[in-house]
Amino acid sequence: MAWHHFLHPLKLFIFLGCFIAALSIFILLGFLIQSSLPFWQAFGITSLWGKEWYPYESLYGFLPAIVGTIWALIIAMLIAVPCGVSAAIVSSEMLSPAWRNMARIGMEVLAGIPSVVYGLIGLWVLLPFLQHSLDLLTGHNLLAAGIILSLMILPTIMVMSQDALQAVSAEQRESAMNLGLNENQCLYRVLLPQAWSGIRSGMLLALGRALGETMAVMLVVGSMDRLPQPFYNILEPAQTLTSRIGREMGEAAFGSLHFSALMGCALILAIIAMALSLFAYQKQTTS
Amino acid sequence: MKLLLILLAIPAFMFPLACLIYILWQAWGSLDLSLLTGAKHASSMIQAGQSLLPQISGSLLLMGIACALAMPIAMALALFHSLYASKYQQHGLMMMLQLFQGIPPIVYGLCGLVVLVHLLHWGISLAAGGVILAVIILPLLSSNIIHALERIPLEQTEAAKSLGLSSMQVIRRVWLPSAWSGILTGLLLSMARALSETAPILFTATVFSGVTWPDSIWNPVTSLQTHIFYLAQEGSDAHAVGIAWASASILLALILCFSLLAWTLRAAEINNYSSYVKDKSSDSRRSIWRISKP
Repeated sequence: MAWHHFLHPLKLFIFLGCFIAALSIFILLGFLIQSSLPFWQAFGITSLWGKEWYPYESLYGFLPAIVGTIWALIIAMLIAVPCGVSAAIVSSEMLSPAWRNMARIGMEVLAGIPSVVYGLIGLWVLLPFLQHSLDLLTGHNLLAAGIILSLMILPTIMVMSQDALQAVSAEQRESAMNLGLNENQCLYRVLLPQAWSGIRSGMLLALGRALGETMAVMLVVGSMDRLPQPFYNILEPAQTLTSRIGREMGEAAFGSLHFSALMGCALILAIIAMALSLFAYQKQTTS
Repeated sequence: MKLLLILLAIPAFMFPLACLIYILWQAWGSLDLSLLTGAKHASSMIQAGQSLLPQISGSLLLMGIACALAMPIAMALALFHSLYASKYQQHGLMMMLQLFQGIPPIVYGLCGLVVLVHLLHWGISLAAGGVILAVIILPLLSSNIIHALERIPLEQTEAAKSLGLSSMQVIRRVWLPSAWSGILTGLLLSMARALSETAPILFTATVFSGVTWPDSIWNPVTSLQTHIFYLAQEGSDAHAVGIAWASASILLALILCFSLLAWTLRAAEINNYSSYVKDKSSDSRRSIWRISKP
C-alpha cells in the first residue's frame, strides 16, 4: 500500500528518537546509582547524619552539607515567597496590561541571567556589603547564599503566581465585588484560595531550582565543611550539597571512595529534586 | 494592605533593572574592541594578546551541538505524544518530562562525567559537553514543542485527515506551517538555557586557557560561562575583574538576544491567536483594584 511507504520512515524516526531519549536518560541515572554504590556499601546510610567530612581521613558525614542546604533554602524562600507573591498580586490586580507585560519581561530577564553572573554579583557586591554592615571576618556565609538564591527563584514564584491569579475568571471577581466584599476580602476569600494550587506548585518548583543551583552558591557560601555553631548561626562559612560537588569534583580521583561519596551527594540531590517536581506536577494536575 | 503589598513588591520590580544596569556599569570600563582583538597588556590571569573570541565561539559551539542533538529527539518525542500516545501515555510522558526537568544540572554533569568522560574515554571534550547540555535541554525543548503542537485546533487536523492526507502530509502541510513559531520559540528558549548552564560543563568540556579553537569535537574548549567562574575564583587584580564583568555582559547579551527573539515570537503568536478567537471577556473586570476600561 502507498501510505505504508510514507509512514514507515516517520514511524522509524519517532520510535528511534523516543528510544534514544529514554536510553540516554536511564543510562545516565543508572550510572549515577551504580557509581555511588561503593560508598553506600562501605559506609551505609548512617553517613547521612555523620557530622564530620574529611575525605582524606575517610570521614564522610553528610550532615553539615544537608544542614547548610536546608538553611540556604529556608532563607531563600523566606525572602522570595513574600516578595514574589505580592509582586504577582500587584502586577495582576493593580497594574494595567502594558505595565504587567513590562513586569513580566523584567522577571524573564531576571530568570535569564546565568547563575555564574549571579555568583559574580554575590561575590563582588553582596559579600563586601555583608562584611561591612554586619562586621564579620568574611562575607562568605549562608545568609549570602540565601539572598542570592532568593534572587534566582523570585522569577519562578512570581511568574507562576501571576499566571494562577490571571487564570481566576473575571466573573469570580465581579460576583465577589457584587456581594459587597472589599478588595482585601476579595483577595483573601476568592483570589488566593483559587490561585493557591498554582502558587504552591510555583513554590515547589522554585524550591527545586534553589536546591540544584551550583555556581552562585559555590562562589558565595565559603565551602567550609562544619556544622553551624550553634545550629542557627547563619553568619559562618558553610557548605551545601551542590557546592561540595562543585568544589571537590576536580580533586576526587575517578573510582575512589571520595568520588563515590560525591556521587552519593548527587544521588540525594536527584531524589529530593525528583520528589519535589513530582509533587508539584501532581498538585498541578489534580486541582 | 495595599501599601504593604506594594512595598513588598517594589524590590521584585526593581531588581531586574538594577542587576542589568549594575553589570553594564561595571563592565563599561573594559568593554572595548581589545576584548575581541586581544588584551593590550598582561596581568596575572590574562596574558597579553588574549581575547574573548575563543570563549564566545566555545560557548556558541557547545550550544549549537546541544541543540542539533536535542532537536530531532525532542521532535520525535513531541510527534509520538501527538500521533501515537494514548491519554495515559501522554500523561506519563508529560510527567517524565517534568521529572527530568527538575533534576539539577550538576547531577547530569556528574553522570556525564562518569559515563562519557571516563567510561567511554571521550575525555574532557566538546562532544561530552554537547551531549550533556542536550540531555539537560531535552525536557524543556520537548515540552515546548508539545505545547506548540497542542495549540493547533483539532478541527484543522481532522479536516486534513478527512481529506485523505497521510500522517507525514499532515505534519508537513498542516502542523509545521501553523506551529513553526511555537517550535522556534521553544528552540530559542532552549538555546538561552544551554548558554547559561555552567556547572555541568565545568568538569566535562572546558579548560581555563590554552585552547583557541578546538581541532575536533574530542578536544576541550573554553567557554564564557566557565571563564567567568575561573576569573571570579582567582582574579583579584582590577584587570581580571573588569574582564569578568565584560564577559558576563557579553554572555548576558547573547542570552537576551535569544530570549528577546523568543518573546517577540510568542507575543506575535498570542496576538494572532486572540484575533482569531475574538476574546469576548476582554472587556470584563480582570483585576480587583483597578477597574479596566470598557
